Amino acid sequence: MSTDGAAVGAPRGPLAGIRGIVLTQAWAGSYATQLLGMLGADIVQLEVRKRLDSWRGSYDTPLIAALSSVPTATHAWNCNPLYNSVNLNKRNATLDLATPAGVDLFRRLLVHADVVAENFSPRVLGNLGIDYEAMRAVKPDVILCSLTAYGHDGPWANVPGIGGTIEPTSGQSALLGYRDGPPINSGQMYPDAVAGLTGFAAMVTALRHRQRTGEGQYIDLSMQEANLAVVGDAALEYELTGRQRARLGNRHLTFAPHGIYPCLAAGRDQRWIALAAESETQWAALCAAAAHPDWLADPRFADNAARKTNEDALDAALAAWTATEDRDALAARLGTAGMIAAPVLDTLEVASDAHFRARGVIVYVDHPEVGRRAQPGAPVHFSRTPAAVTRHAPVQGEHNLEVFSELLGMTPGEYEALAAEGVTGVGEP
Amino acid sequence: MTQALDDLRVLDLSDSAAGAWCTRLLADFGADVITVEPRANGHALRALAPFDDAGRSIPALYMLANKRSIAIDLDEPRAGSLLSRLLRRTDVVVESFTPGRLAELGLGFDMLAQRRAGMILCSITPHGQTGKRAAVPGNDLTAFARSGWASINGRANREPLNGSAFQASYQAGIAAYGAVVAALLHRDTHDNEGQHIDVALDDVLASTCAPAIVRAQYTGEPLARREKSDITAGPVPVADGHFALTISRAHFWRDAMNLLGLEDLAEDERWAAGWFRQQHQDEYMPRVEEQMAGWKKMELFDELAVRRVVAGPVLEMSELRTNDHLAARGFWAAAENAPDGPAYAGAPARLSASPWQLARRMPRHGEHTFSVFREIGGITEDHLLGLFESGVIGTVE
Repeated sequence: MSTDGAAVGAPRGPLAGIRGIVLTQAWAGSYATQLLGMLGADIVQLEVRKRLDSWRGSYDTPLIAALSSVPTATHAWNCNPLYNSVNLNKRNATLDLATPAGVDLFRRLLVHADVVAENFSPRVLGNLGIDYEAMRAVKPDVILCSLTAYGHDGPWANVPGIGGTIEPTSGQSALLGYRDGPPINSGQMYPDAVAGLTGFAAMVTALRHRQRTGEGQYIDLSMQEANLAVVGDAALEYELTGRQRARLGNRHLTFAPHGIYPCLAAGRDQRWIALAAESETQWAALCAAAAHPDWLADPRFADNAARKTNEDALDAALAAWTATEDRDALAARLGTAGMIAAPVLDTLEVASDAHFRARGVIVYVDHPEVGRRAQPGAPVHFSRTPAAVTRHAPVQGEHNLEVFSELLGMTPGEYEALAAEGVTGVGEP
Repeated sequence: MTQALDDLRVLDLSDSAAGAWCTRLLADFGADVITVEPRANGHALRALAPFDDAGRSIPALYMLANKRSIAIDLDEPRAGSLLSRLLRRTDVVVESFTPGRLAELGLGFDMLAQRRAGMILCSITPHGQTGKRAAVPGNDLTAFARSGWASINGRANREPLNGSAFQASYQAGIAAYGAVVAALLHRDTHDNEGQHIDVALDDVLASTCAPAIVRAQYTGEPLARREKSDITAGPVPVADGHFALTISRAHFWRDAMNLLGLEDLAEDERWAAGWFRQQHQDEYMPRVEEQMAGWKKMELFDELAVRRVVAGPVLEMSELRTNDHLAARGFWAAAENAPDGPAYAGAPARLSASPWQLARRMPRHGEHTFSVFREIGGITEDHLLGLFESGVIGTVE
C-alpha cells in the first residue's frame, strides 16, 4: 500500500501498541475505531458474513456505475465508499458469532484486546453470551465501549435509532434549517459524526484510566446524549430563558454579516461564498474590498448591533455584490486581507483543495478493488508521534488467516476447516 | 471515584469555542483546568449572545463551566514570568492564537517544553499551524464551507447551509480532547515525551464529512443538496410537529408500512431493499407521508418503538428537558458547587469507572486569579496585590 502525502509503514502514532478488537459497523462506531487506528492502534474489525456491515450494503446491492469500468472492482461490498471512508487502518476478519465455535474464537481473541467496541442493539451482546461481565471473566481489564441509540438503560434503551432519527430526537434537527423553513436533517447523518468523535474520546479516556490504575471499564455511549451535549448551549438557553432557540440559517447569534452568498456560476453550477465579519475592523475591510464606502457610511450598518437589526438589507446588499464575483478569487482576496471568507466547496472539490493536500488531511489511498482514490486521512497532527493512513479499508475477510494465526496460532489447515463450516471465510455464505 | 485525568493541570490560553470545549472535556474528566482570560475583556465567549437575565453569555456559561479563571494582561512584560510560575506545574497547554502569536508572547512550544518536561501543547485554529491558509481567519461557518458539509446541508433550490451554532467548534474540541489524551498516554509510556498537537476546524470537519467526500471520489459526482424534505431525508410534517422515518433495515420498512396501513407496500418483497426504494421514491413517498400526517409524533414514536423500528420525532429543548428517558438516565446535571443553579446537558458518554463530572459552574472573569497564583504559582499576597494595582493581573472593574 502506498499513499501520497502521508506516512507509510508501521504506525508511529501515540496509540501504537494498543489493540482494539471491534464489532463496529456503519458510521459512528466505525469512525470512532478508525480514529484509534489513525493514531496507531491495531484495530481488528470482526465482521459476520451472514450480515454484512450495513455500510458495505447487502450482497445484492449493485456496484456503483462509475466503478463498472474498473476491472478490479469485483465485489460491490468491498467497493462501498461509505464503508471505505470510515475503516482505514483496520484489519478485517470474519467470524460468525451466532455459532459456538465463533464465540469461542472471539473469547480467545479477546485476551489480546485492550479495547472492544460495538454498536449492536443493547441486547445483542448478552444474547451472544459476550456481554461486559462475560468479557471481564476472560479479560479482567477490558474496556468495552457500547455505542447505542439511547444508551443501555432507561425506558428507551431498546428503541433502535440511526443518525437520521437521532438527529430529531437529540434536539439537533430543531436547530438546523433555514430561518423561514421547517426543522431538517443534515445532508448525511451528522449525529454519527458527533457520536464517533465522542466514542474515540471516551475510549482514550478509559485507556488512560487503565494505564493509571490497571482497571478496565464499561462505556455506555448514547448517540442521543452525545449529540445533546453539543447543542448543550441551546439546552441551557431554554433552561435559563424558557426559549427554544430559533433556526438561524446561516446567520450567527451575535455577528453580522454572517452568511453564504451567491457568486458567478461555473457552467451550470451555482457557486457560493461564506462571509462573516466579527469585528468593526473586519467590517471596514469588507466594505473596502467590495468598493462600497457607502456601506461604511450607512447608518443601518453603523455597528454590529445596527447590522444585526438590518440584516435582511445587509444580506441583500452583500449578495448583489458577490453575485458578480468569482468565488475562488474573491475568497482568496478577502482571506489574504484578514477577513473571514471561504468558498463553499462541494464534496468533489474538497478532495482537490491544495491546503488539505499539503497538510496530509486529504491523501491518496490504494484500495485493492477500487484503485487509487483521494480521501480524508488523519484529522489531527502530532509533532512527535504522527497519525497517518497506513492501511486501506479492508476488503471482507482480508486478514482472516493473518489475524487468527498471529493472535491464536491457527494453522492454515485449521482455518480452512473453520471456513468450510462457515465460522469464518470470505464472501456470501 | 477517581477520574481519568485527575492528576493533571491544564492551562487554557485559548479564546475560542473549540478551545473552550476541548478544555471543558478535560475538566469534565478530572483535570484542573485554569482558563487564562485577557484582563480587559475576558474570554471572547463572554461577549457572545444569547445572554441570561443577569447579562451573562449562555455559550460562556456552558463552555467555561468546570474551570477556574485567572485574569492577566498578556501584553504586560511581567505576564510571561508570571505564567512561567504556573507552567512549571502544568501538563497541558491549549491555545487558539493565530499561528506565530504564541511564540511572540514567548510561549512557543520550545519555551513551554523548557518550563515543564513532557509538556503537551494543543493548538486549535481554523486552518492549522502549517500551509498557505494558516494565518487566514476562519470560524465555524468557513469550516462548514471548506469541508463539504455546507454543500450537502439544506435544499437544492436554496443556499448551502451552515450547521447550527458552534458545531464545527464542538467537533474540533472533541477531536482535540481525544488527541491530548492520546498524547498523554504516549507521554506516560515513553520517557515523559511531550509534543505539539495541531488541530484545525477545517481538518476535523473534512474528516467527519468523509463518507460524502469518498462517495464523490468513487462516483465522480459531488453529493447534491436534496430537492425537498421527504422521509428518506429527514423530518416531514405530522399532526403536531415533524417526524423522521429514515428507514434502513428491511424489517423497519415492513413493520412501519403495516402500522401506517400501507399493507401493499409492506408485503411486496421488492420494497425491502434500500437501493430499490431509493430508485422508486415517487411511487411510495406521497402515500407514506399522507398517512404520517395524521399521527401525533409521540404516539407514532411509541407505536414504532414497540415494533423496534427506528423513528425520530423532532424534539425541542422543552421536550428533552422533561423527557422520561433522559430523566431516568440522570442525564441533566447541575454543577456540584451550584446545586440550585441550572441543569446542564450531562455526560456525552458514561464511563463506569472514571466518570464525567461537572464540579463547577462557570467562573467569574478572574475569579481565581489570586488563589491560583498564590497556591500554584507560589507568589505572595503582597506581590500579588502589587501586580493587581499595577494592572498586570485581576479584572478591570
